[in-house]
Amino acid sequence: MSNKLINLVDITKVYDGQTVLDELNLYIRENEFLTLLGPSGCGKTTTLRIIGGFENPDRGQVIFNGQDITTLPPYKRQLNTVFQKYALFPHMSIAENIAFGLKIKGKSRQYINDKIKYALKLVNLEGFENRSPSLLSGGQQQRVAIARAIVNEPKVLLLDEPLGALDLKLRQDMQYELIRLKNELGITFIYVTHDQEEALTMSDTIVVMNQGYIQQIGTPEDIYNEPQNAFVADFIGESNIFPGLMIEDRLVEIFGAKFACVDEGFGRNKPVDVVIRPEDIDLVKPKKGIITGRVTSLIFKGVHYEMDVMANGVEWTVHSTDMVPVGEEVGIWVEPSDIQIMHKPESEDEEAVSLEES
Amino acid sequence: MKRQLQRIYMALIVILLYAPIITLVVLSFNSSKTRAKWGGFTGKWYAALFQNDTIMEALYTTLIIALLAAVISTVIGTAAAIGIHSMKRRARTVFLGVNNIPMLNGEIVTGISLMLLFLAFRVRFGFLTILLTHITFCTPYVILSVMPKLKQTSRYTYEAALDLGATPLRAFFTVVFPDIMPGVLSGFLMAFTLSLDDFVITHFTKGAGVDTLSTKIYSEVRKGIKPEMYALSALLFVTVLVLLLLVNMNPQDSKSAPTFFRDAEGRRHFRFSRRFLLGRLVPALLVILVAGGGIYYGARAGNGNTNDQLIVYNWGEYMDPEVIDLFEEETGIRVIYEEFETNEIMYPKVKAGAVAYDLVCPSDYMIQKMIDNDLLAEINFDNVPNIKNIGSVYMEKSRAFDPENKYSVPYTWGTVGILYNKTMVSEPVDSWKILWDSKYSDSILMQDSVRDAFAVALKYLGYSLNSTNIQELSEAQSLLISQKPLVQAYVIDQVRDKMIGNEAALGVIYSGEAIFTQKENPDLEYVIPKEGSNLWIDSWVIPKNAQHKENAEKFINFLCRPDIALMNFDYITYSTPNTEARKLIEDESIRNSTIAFPDDEMLADCETFQYLGQDADELYNRLWREVKSK
Repeated sequence: MSNKLINLVDITKVYDGQTVLDELNLYIRENEFLTLLGPSGCGKTTTLRIIGGFENPDRGQVIFNGQDITTLPPYKRQLNTVFQKYALFPHMSIAENIAFGLKIKGKSRQYINDKIKYALKLVNLEGFENRSPSLLSGGQQQRVAIARAIVNEPKVLLLDEPLGALDLKLRQDMQYELIRLKNELGITFIYVTHDQEEALTMSDTIVVMNQGYIQQIGTPEDIYNEPQNAFVADFIGESNIFPGLMIEDRLVEIFGAKFACVDEGFGRNKPVDVVIRPEDIDLVKPKKGIITGRVTSLIFKGVHYEMDVMANGVEWTVHSTDMVPVGEEVGIWVEPSDIQIMHKPESEDEEAVSLEES
Repeated sequence: MKRQLQRIYMALIVILLYAPIITLVVLSFNSSKTRAKWGGFTGKWYAALFQNDTIMEALYTTLIIALLAAVISTVIGTAAAIGIHSMKRRARTVFLGVNNIPMLNGEIVTGISLMLLFLAFRVRFGFLTILLTHITFCTPYVILSVMPKLKQTSRYTYEAALDLGATPLRAFFTVVFPDIMPGVLSGFLMAFTLSLDDFVITHFTKGAGVDTLSTKIYSEVRKGIKPEMYALSALLFVTVLVLLLLVNMNPQDSKSAPTFFRDAEGRRHFRFSRRFLLGRLVPALLVILVAGGGIYYGARAGNGNTNDQLIVYNWGEYMDPEVIDLFEEETGIRVIYEEFETNEIMYPKVKAGAVAYDLVCPSDYMIQKMIDNDLLAEINFDNVPNIKNIGSVYMEKSRAFDPENKYSVPYTWGTVGILYNKTMVSEPVDSWKILWDSKYSDSILMQDSVRDAFAVALKYLGYSLNSTNIQELSEAQSLLISQKPLVQAYVIDQVRDKMIGNEAALGVIYSGEAIFTQKENPDLEYVIPKEGSNLWIDSWVIPKNAQHKENAEKFINFLCRPDIALMNFDYITYSTPNTEARKLIEDESIRNSTIAFPDDEMLADCETFQYLGQDADELYNRLWREVKSK
């Protein structure tokens, strides 16, 4: 996980006068599982298609292993793609689908047959050689698409929302399969998704994108625990995001109540955004809390309860395994280390936007 | 009750749709030569059809044009569809709209505009113009048929192929093409069928000596009863039907992805057999057919030098084909022979000059018109010594339209008279008067053409049939109007069939037809009324733009040879002006027939038609319209 395998330099892409990517810079290390995460239209798929060679950037360079491949057509690149809609060739059998790339490379019959066997075993589809793609379920088709890509032994595998069309259970199974595959094959994965849970589960590195800009790059833990702006905080998991005032180092005021925190260096009396994860809020006896409020709604979510608490004129979302009935007065307590302070957004693009669920 | 009504309604619709075609098919198995009577079941017309060289040649031309047009327009159309498909929405809408217009356009408009285009660029009319034309009108249909398939294909499968290392071309042929194959194939079959079927557009853009089946059928049918044509039309219908069934056997499956899975199993099997049928069997058969035909006819047609050609434009059924063979054998000149149906169809074609005809056979008044319009070349009679065989009386009569006998050589002639059925008309017939006798109400057939109809009335009144006197003409008009209630029908070719079939007692007919009808029905008798009638002459003329004038004169000379003139007389049965040939007629009853060769006395009051000028033409037409609409 050391040298930069792919380096995107100042990539800009404009469609019909609309800037989809604006001077994007990003590198991907060898053997990394990197996920591009963001809402639809954020530019993540365009980034992937530029890496794959299906789109040419209007400006900028794609460097692969030290070589500029910006204008190299897809069929000359050493990477393979697993498409969102699987894109299997409907008039070919499973074996023919998998053999497609190898035949073009002129591999021997024996080599191809061995590879088909190996790949099908890898994706747990042994014995499916002669079936037609249309006879497979969505999950099976997706595995064939992966098998078809990996037999070519690419340096990098690009995956464009590969699990998007699968149901929840299958999606979770496939997530583990993909992690297993990546570990077995030892190649670089670039993965595109709008599903933050998927990203958090599988990735080594997550790149959060919005409106053509990279919002934050980091490990899943970084992204979750220390979102750098309100957009990331809102997009990753659920959050209470409040406007606050940094009174001094390690002390922030939210709606008139002073909270201890661990952040420093914001200056004195500076407006900031404060992120508190719902599961980090403890509901205590009224007098023991920093502020007090009243429970206004209660929903059972399976693992935990979701409660809305009205305190100091705003609603706080709280996740807890302990149930507090509606109407009860409670105190709100947050550990200083669970309070995340962020700079106010400097541009509109960074502002948290309403997220489309797609 | 409701269900029964539905069934009856459906049955009526099917009958309505298919009755004409069933009639055609039934008639193609009728052993009698006329459609008026059923002579028993026979397959002989089909046999005759396949032994007819000109029809087989037309069939071959049709197939090779259909195949080439279909292949080329499929390639062009598929490429265009791919291009249009990848356009932005706005441009795509515009292009698809542009693509649709030619399909909605009237065929006749397409035909005429293409003809004008070819004329403007001085393209020689022939095989190539037909092919270009067919490609032009087939391509939009291919585009239309491929587009929906392209819309169904996923862009991602193409990208996946690129991703796996396929070049764009290879990706197209291995991945995209199989997906749009059904659309391409149905486009191909559609183009093939359209090309096979087309008449109107071909009619306007074909050149001399090239015929497709449909233009061939048209010219043959115009000439009259030819049961082979029923057989040919029946075959054409069956062929097109089979092709359409093939096209529709692959329904445009517009199913979206989810249903795709569910009925996948059945679909897969179906697709395989269809692919085999359309992808292998049909093309293989076509190739065999075309290659076979090509070898057979290629050997026959040869690649003649264009200097040894002669392009003849003649009436349908107006020359013994053996005469042409003999001429070709004797001189080595290749005759390209084309036929027309009326003087009015011939005239604009010669005038347009798209095809440089070398020899044309118009009628008297039309020759006059062509001379007036400076379309004819003077014949060099040094090259036509056999002109001596033509009776001087006919040369004399020709002066009515060719005053100095410079432009024309008489070929056939005849009169117009009354054909009557002796079993229905007992009194002697010698005057046009009988056509106004109310005894024969609803049993009289008149010619449905303005000059012929007015000639009858004018002659009956004692005027010239070339009269332009408004007084005389309105008298004639009133006479025709008063006759109208007695007339069973105004017809042209059907006089012959109806009289043979005993459907009418009296009919105005050309003498040449009269001889033919008598052979079929001995009860019929022909007479030239004593008031006089029309004597018509069809003569050979050489258009000014002829490319092979000397060959044309050679051919005229050949036709004036008594033995050749006799062959033609036997074939077409119209009177020959060749007095030497008449002497050679073996059958005495014909040699002395007063129908074929009326006495000079009988012809005394007969006149030829003259071209009366545009104003008079319009006057005649107006008066005739009034007669017909009263």
